[in-house]
Amino acid sequence: MLSKKPKATTTFGYLIVPVALYTFAVFIPLLVAVYYSFFEWKGGPNKTFIGLENYATLLHDTVFWQSFGHNLYLVLLCVIGQVGIAFIFVMVISTRFVKLKGIHRTLGFFPSTISAVAIGYIWMMIYDSRRGILNWFLEAIGQGDKTQVWLNNPKLVMTLVAIPLIWQYIGYYMLILLSATSAIDKEIIESAELDGANAVQRAIHVVLPMVKSTVAVCIVLCVSGNMKAFDNIFVMTEGGPGNASMVMAMYGYKISFAQQNMGYGSAISVGIFVLGMLVVGGMQLIPKLFAKKEA
Amino acid sequence: MKKRKVMMSLMLSAAMLAGMLTGCGNSSAPAATEATTATETTAATDAEEGAAAGAELAYSGEITMMHYSTSEESQGNGGSDGFRTMIANWKEAHPDIDLNETVLANDDYKPQIATLAAAGDLPDVFLLQGMNTKAWAEQGLIMDMTDIIKDSPYYSDYNQAYFTPFTDGDKIYGLPALTGGTCTVVVYDKAAWKEAGFDTFPTTWEDVKKADEYFKANGYTDTIAFGNGSKWQANSCFLSVIGDRFTGPDWFQSIIDKGGAAFTDDEFVQALQFTQDIFASGVFNEDFNAITNEDAREYYISGDAAAFVGGNWDVSYIGATLLETDPDLYANTGFAALPQPEGATGSTNSQNIGLGYAIALNPKLADDPDKLAAAIDLAYYLTGPAFSTYVGENYALAGLTKTANVDLSAFDQYTQDFYDFSYVSTTPCEIYDSYVNSAVWDVVNTEMQSMLNGDTTAQNVAEKAQEAYEANY
Repeated sequence: MLSKKPKATTTFGYLIVPVALYTFAVFIPLLVAVYYSFFEWKGGPNKTFIGLENYATLLHDTVFWQSFGHNLYLVLLCVIGQVGIAFIFVMVISTRFVKLKGIHRTLGFFPSTISAVAIGYIWMMIYDSRRGILNWFLEAIGQGDKTQVWLNNPKLVMTLVAIPLIWQYIGYYMLILLSATSAIDKEIIESAELDGANAVQRAIHVVLPMVKSTVAVCIVLCVSGNMKAFDNIFVMTEGGPGNASMVMAMYGYKISFAQQNMGYGSAISVGIFVLGMLVVGGMQLIPKLFAKKEA
Repeated sequence: MKKRKVMMSLMLSAAMLAGMLTGCGNSSAPAATEATTATETTAATDAEEGAAAGAELAYSGEITMMHYSTSEESQGNGGSDGFRTMIANWKEAHPDIDLNETVLANDDYKPQIATLAAAGDLPDVFLLQGMNTKAWAEQGLIMDMTDIIKDSPYYSDYNQAYFTPFTDGDKIYGLPALTGGTCTVVVYDKAAWKEAGFDTFPTTWEDVKKADEYFKANGYTDTIAFGNGSKWQANSCFLSVIGDRFTGPDWFQSIIDKGGAAFTDDEFVQALQFTQDIFASGVFNEDFNAITNEDAREYYISGDAAAFVGGNWDVSYIGATLLETDPDLYANTGFAALPQPEGATGSTNSQNIGLGYAIALNPKLADDPDKLAAAIDLAYYLTGPAFSTYVGENYALAGLTKTANVDLSAFDQYTQDFYDFSYVSTTPCEIYDSYVNSAVWDVVNTEMQSMLNGDTTAQNVAEKAQEAYEANY
């Protein structure tokens, strides 16, 4: 009895539960946001239909586009930082000189299990101008004139809030890439080694092409994750100084809840969704372009 | 046939699941909140308990209430402690009424109540922030309490000035709650400033700059500690008073009434310009824009800074901490109003004080006169003489209802001095962000943070503020 293949309806029945939940938690709110975005709605029961006016405002909202720029910058840093460094770590860990591989994997993955809010606080302490380890370190190596109030520097702040994010997720992508590389036949690597390829050549010309599709998945995850960055930045700077570290999700939150402009906030959410889809879609086109060139 | 049945039951259960989840979303008490029930007991106090029990209430059943006096907050915060104590007393006096409280920390309370307002799903009794009054009144979310307030048995004892933020035209929408506390006070080390040559805190910023030279040469890291990391502090705890010094109270009244004043008026731009200049002058800690007021007050507590600018909430924290860690500094701590900027023509010792929140009622209560009567009784009691007496006797604080001379002799110098600063020796002025609306202040706060870094000009901030004011108010 047990080994019998379940009926299609049973399978369907089990599957519909997550689909229903997903529909309820993702699609319905999205549709509702689209609906609300056509209204001037400053909280409360009164809404005024204003058509596309919120979207017209959005197109000319300099803060929103500035935030979008910050998101793109964050995506760039994180793709290089998270996926790039993770790949290097994977290559180092898979060499036979590294001992205790299990411990490296576990400790590397550890930061991604910590809440982003806690990570934000940890890094705030590192950047703190008085008691922070960063300024202390600069003093210690005789670079005291380079110390500063780090999170108050509008030119650096986006990079500074990206570093905790990078640090947090290296282990996550490391794990994905490790599982992909471990599937590569050892003989291929060994024969490359015998042919005289050094470690860097092996990584770029042998391993990378073989885990190409996994890297692509990592990049898509990384891009979509960073288009909705919010928590650690909110804790560290609340988008400040001024709007220097404002990202789209935080701007939407601020408009909706701090300024109580729900209609326009909904329009921003829809904007984030559309831009996020465009960026992720754009990222997926890149490998196709490369593929065409090769062909 | 059987297949269809299975499908049907699956769809029904999916619909039920969705319904359950939707139900959760609409409920006024989300799972994450601390819902205190009537079983919670608080030691009864000697405050006039009879005041609540006086009127027999016909209503029995549930009243929902939302506020932000959490048990953590009430440790050391007199207003919160008084509020919680009064609620407990009232519950005890009315066992037939199930007062269902949702208690959130203030930071969580604000977005939560705004969300419930947006959904038109406010609780029966809640705390209304001054700046939401006009918008929520327009939307019909809050009950017009003008007559209820006039009928109050304590009406003649109410401090009428406290009603202003909750007034729209000639209608009043709330009974101001908790305690009146200043938002801007200079907390300073009297001994240190005496060494620097000042018997009391300087009354001009020129003198502060002179003292700054002395302090920097004598081992202090900062002269005045300030934290603007969350962006609202420079507005609530500085500009609101400096603005009053430059523009006088009429200008802000005109902003509230839309009487023609503009953020781009010269006097206000001067106030912004002064704020930018004084923060650039180095008398404040250089990381003021990156740390919060909670961090900045630690600079004072640890003795790194000779003074600190913050609000009454900081004063109670500093007092409680110093009492344990540094009794000498506790005894030497004094309070002063901000010094007068050069060129300012307004009051020289103003400080912004008021009650930021009022007890407001849901207009839906009007459907059930007995329930409404019970809610009104609760609102009277929580803001009445029992509350004022409790916070007066225990914390030297005052609420909406005036009480006969509070005997301060039992309090130490720190508490007495702060009472004197708050209610006696200074001129009150308005707290900017108790009025107008959050859309305007959010823009002002963000732009001002950039301005204090020197990344934008005072004129620019004023223009952005005016733009937001015209678009949203």
